Amino acid sequence: MYNAPMITVRLPQKKKELELPGPRRVMDLLADAGVRPTTVIVSQGRKLLTKDHRVEDGATIDVISVVSGG
Amino acid sequence: MKCKRCRRAGAAVELPSHHAAFCPDCFFVFFRRQVTEGIRKLRLLAPEDRVLVCVSGGKDSLVLWDVLIDEGYETEGLYIDLGIDGYSDRSKEKVFSYAASRGKAPIVVDLAKEGIPIPEAARCVRMQECSICGTVKRHFFNRVAAEGKFTVVATGHNLDDETARLLGNLLHWQRGHLARQHPLLPGTGGGLVRKVKPLWRVSEVETAAYGFLKGIDYVTEECPMSEDATSLVYKEALSRIEDRMPGTRIVFYQGFLDPSSPLRKGLEAAAPADASPTPEDGTTADAARARDVDAEEGTGAPRACASCGAPTYTEICSFCRLKERVREARSVRAARGSR
Repeated sequence: MYNAPMITVRLPQKKKELELPGPRRVMDLLADAGVRPTTVIVSQGRKLLTKDHRVEDGATIDVISVVSGG
Repeated sequence: MKCKRCRRAGAAVELPSHHAAFCPDCFFVFFRRQVTEGIRKLRLLAPEDRVLVCVSGGKDSLVLWDVLIDEGYETEGLYIDLGIDGYSDRSKEKVFSYAASRGKAPIVVDLAKEGIPIPEAARCVRMQECSICGTVKRHFFNRVAAEGKFTVVATGHNLDDETARLLGNLLHWQRGHLARQHPLLPGTGGGLVRKVKPLWRVSEVETAAYGFLKGIDYVTEECPMSEDATSLVYKEALSRIEDRMPGTRIVFYQGFLDPSSPLRKGLEAAAPADASPTPEDGTTADAARARDVDAEEGTGAPRACASCGAPTYTEICSFCRLKERVREARSVRAARGSR
């Protein structure tokens, strides 16, 4: 059976990785991952993505939390 | 989305609070302007200052060091090894790696060697790790700065940190803490070095984006001791407000700092006249802030701790008292163990 390529969303601080269908905007992927957009930066390789950026199937993005405590 | 500044390149960073979006090059210009404007507005640093930058390996402190180096300040980095299994090693590695990339070697204080690693100290005295960490860090910031003839200590606290702290202080009406909350804590004649927070105008998202785009390899994991930190609750509340009303954080904080605001005037009026011996610009609000020397309140000039010589308002400073409590707890444990 053929598996359609998906978007890999990595959340390193939560030690989580999700496979979501694309193509979709970053803000939609974050909503599906349950992440508030203003608490993270999102990258694809060495590029930072804005929340309206359209991510294609087969891509891998990293969602990095910016909130520090203490 | 296009960059709102150059209108040519694609945007990489979107900042609703500034109604702006920037490409990487324009964001660098914007970010550095925010920091230098924050320094200029509150006269945090002078060109001739020797700056001790406290670096943890996280984004904010490394970004601060990076900007200050690029702006031509004479800086050295201070890394305090908290003695937290795994986390301290990883954060130290990031600090050393960044420092080497700028041709520098950080000054290191190893709390295990100083006899007060944070996790063990917290267990011994049954206090929260963050509370102990604050006391210990304040002590070494000042001690290393005084010994190394630094004129100022700089920390990487950003707008999110400062507004979270402000919200917490307001909700609990911590008047003493409110009086001392400011990006500039003046030094005193009693051996207390000036402390500044040059990132007070920039948010966590902005420092993270700057660090990422500049290729600064910072530790992204959180300190395992800070998971239950109350500051995270205040941060989340403010972040939800900011989501709905972008720009609220900076308005909140700038309003608090405004010398003509009723709250600031009230804090100034409430500050004891003898709160500090030599505040640098002579206002009573500064005098109140200058007392950020020790965990407890104090009046008059700080004096030298009878044990270590650090500035304090009590005979023995809070750091030495903490060390003594840890030492006693160890002795009790050892005695129990030998029975």
